[in-house]
Amino acid sequence: MKITHEIKDNTITISLDGELDASSSVLLDEELSNPSIMKYSKILVDCAKLNYISSAGLGVFISHLQRFEDSQIKLIFYNMQEKVKNVFEILGLDLLMTIVSTYDEAMTVANE
Amino acid sequence: MPYTTRLKRSYAALAVASWLLLLGNIILCIKTNVNLQEGSVYLHLNNVLVVAFTLGVFMAQHHNTEHFKGTDFLTYLWKLFARAGIAAYVCLVLHLGYEIGSRYWFNPNPYLENVIYNINFALFIYFLAKAFNTWKRLILFQKSKALHVEWRWFEWLMYGSLLLTLFNVNYITYIFIPLMCLLVLYIFFVSVNLRWVAYLNLTKKWRSIFLLGAILVSIFLFAKYFQIQNDNQTLVVNHGDHPFVLLMLFFVFVYSLASLLVAVFSLPTSKVFEQKREDLLNIQRLSQSIQQGQDESQVLDIFFDSAIRASGADAAWLEELRTEEMVTHTLNLDTAKIDLIRQVLKSLNLNNVDYINNNLDMNYHFRELGLPFKSMLVVALKSNKETFGVLYLLKDVEHAFDRETVNTVRTYTNQTILTIENLRLIEDSLQNERYKEELKIASAVQDSLIPKSFPSDSWFQISTFAKAAKEVGGDFYDFLMLSESRIAIIIGDVSGKGVSAAFHMAQMKGIFHALMQDNLDPVVFMLKANSALSRCLERTSFITSSLYIIDYKMQGLSFARAGHCHTLYYNSMTEETFYFQTEGLGLGIIRDASYAKRIHKLHYDYNPGDVMVIYTDGVTEARSPTNEEYGEDRLREMLMQTYHLEADDIKYAIINDLNEFTGDAHIHDDQTLLVVKFKNVQPKFQM
Repeated sequence: MKITHEIKDNTITISLDGELDASSSVLLDEELSNPSIMKYSKILVDCAKLNYISSAGLGVFISHLQRFEDSQIKLIFYNMQEKVKNVFEILGLDLLMTIVSTYDEAMTVANE
Repeated sequence: MPYTTRLKRSYAALAVASWLLLLGNIILCIKTNVNLQEGSVYLHLNNVLVVAFTLGVFMAQHHNTEHFKGTDFLTYLWKLFARAGIAAYVCLVLHLGYEIGSRYWFNPNPYLENVIYNINFALFIYFLAKAFNTWKRLILFQKSKALHVEWRWFEWLMYGSLLLTLFNVNYITYIFIPLMCLLVLYIFFVSVNLRWVAYLNLTKKWRSIFLLGAILVSIFLFAKYFQIQNDNQTLVVNHGDHPFVLLMLFFVFVYSLASLLVAVFSLPTSKVFEQKREDLLNIQRLSQSIQQGQDESQVLDIFFDSAIRASGADAAWLEELRTEEMVTHTLNLDTAKIDLIRQVLKSLNLNNVDYINNNLDMNYHFRELGLPFKSMLVVALKSNKETFGVLYLLKDVEHAFDRETVNTVRTYTNQTILTIENLRLIEDSLQNERYKEELKIASAVQDSLIPKSFPSDSWFQISTFAKAAKEVGGDFYDFLMLSESRIAIIIGDVSGKGVSAAFHMAQMKGIFHALMQDNLDPVVFMLKANSALSRCLERTSFITSSLYIIDYKMQGLSFARAGHCHTLYYNSMTEETFYFQTEGLGLGIIRDASYAKRIHKLHYDYNPGDVMVIYTDGVTEARSPTNEEYGEDRLREMLMQTYHLEADDIKYAIINDLNEFTGDAHIHDDQTLLVVKFKNVQPKFQM
């Protein structure tokens, strides 16, 4: 699992590369728990290279969801592979989180 | 009887027989008053019998079955002296007894004198044979191949000299004298092998010196006796000039003397060797302490004692570093002095590091202390990871810790570190073993939480399968008969794996049984369960679950899906296989009342022959060796082929296909599978 981030104005784009399982979700949790992330108003998650997400990985996003919502930070997933998206859908998270197909779309949603 | 014992006995018999014949021959000679002239038959007979006797005795000793036990040389010396050396004194007593007796009590008797002479000769040969055999063992101690060959040659040459007697060759000629001289040189050459002496400690050396001295006295007595008897005209034959006997006597004497001298001259160095041997033994003890089940403190005991003995330190102490420095062993020092010395070392910034000072007086701080010590050695018991302790050695002479001593102490230190590390590794592995045991118990407990006896009735069939990826898992399922015609089935999956998941699973089971007593609607159940779990589930955890209530009277099925995998269904009327597409959020994701908006109920009228497949994501997300997922489509495909079978057979078909798909690959997630088949038969109405 490789996690990289890119900062542009008030937007932070986190790219996930590989499999988000129990061990790598700890890294993601560290990234999202970092207080400096609250400076941004938009968090985009690039899931293009995310091949697999385990329940632990989902748990990390779920645990931060409320906090971001309270701070009016938008969390947007894009470029999600079909099978990963399916996992979100089965759990019902697609109705709770914003999942769009492209970066442009994500930017549009973010700037609404 | 072993072969060697038989051989030994036959040789002994040969010796006894030939000695008796020899005696008879001599008595016959006296009786007939025959002189053993050159070339006479009696002389030849005499020589043949002497050779036979000598060979018999030597061979009997050669096949002696006693074996060397380790390095117990003293026993051999003692046995040689006690069994054969004493013979010299017997010889002396017999001789003096005859001399005195013939002077005061009876007239000189040629028969008696010859008999005594021959008895003494037999004792002498026995002594030589015994000594030869003992020396052979000492010489061949830790033998090399070359030495073995050399010894073989030596034996053959020595025995060869018997031929001179056998053929009655006059050996004092120009031909044989150089050969004899060469043999004498060979004796010196062989007698150099005195390796065994080095293995004696000081006390043993002293004792062996006394024993060797006594043996030398025996040799001297024998030699003197036969020398005196050489000119005795009363004796019919003179055995004292057989070259074999002379050479053997010379060899036994040379080796005894050499051993004695070497033992005497090695007395002063023996302490050094002993110390080295002790060092080796102590290191061995340290390395074996694990097998002997000793603990760390015992290892440190051995280390402390060994280091003091190896260095000859006058004072010492050992500190263990667990949480803080703690003096565990001391020698000739009290805590106050130790504190003083350590303060000086601390002030010199030499805390817990290796340090040698062979002239403490040169250092102002140490001189100030007014302690009698002049040299100091500090060695830290340090591995790559941590420091176990520090050893301080003090001596009251200057330059006491030379390179040799320091190396020895270092060797001890390294061995001790190794031993302590190994001990700790063993402890860790025992600890792990205990954890494994506890996990096994947890696994057994969890296993007992999964229902074993399924509610069975004539109107439905249920078949279940569950396999955890680890000892304990987060999947669960359960049943509850609400009435004779209604059954509640729940399946769930706790996020994460292992022990924490197992706890939540148990919690969920409790919630199911508690809430379903009230005969709740599936959606209401999910709402209450979500609310209950919100209070106890950690933030990153959530649970997916589906609850089904099947009602036979209504021929209907109502269920709610909280983020769990879609339910696979086969409708026997339309002959269609499909997944129920319902929406519903997992439990514990939204932890307030707004969850009500996220959960929905679905009602479905079932037909007899319908099949419902309920599972966890461990099934659909199982991967093949090529990292392909099993997937919903493949599962649906399986049901399309097997819906007509009994619930059990449908389950087995799916599991077989799943196992074939994943191959031997280790499963990543818990797998649970339930197959429910509806039947067209009345309920039995008894529970």
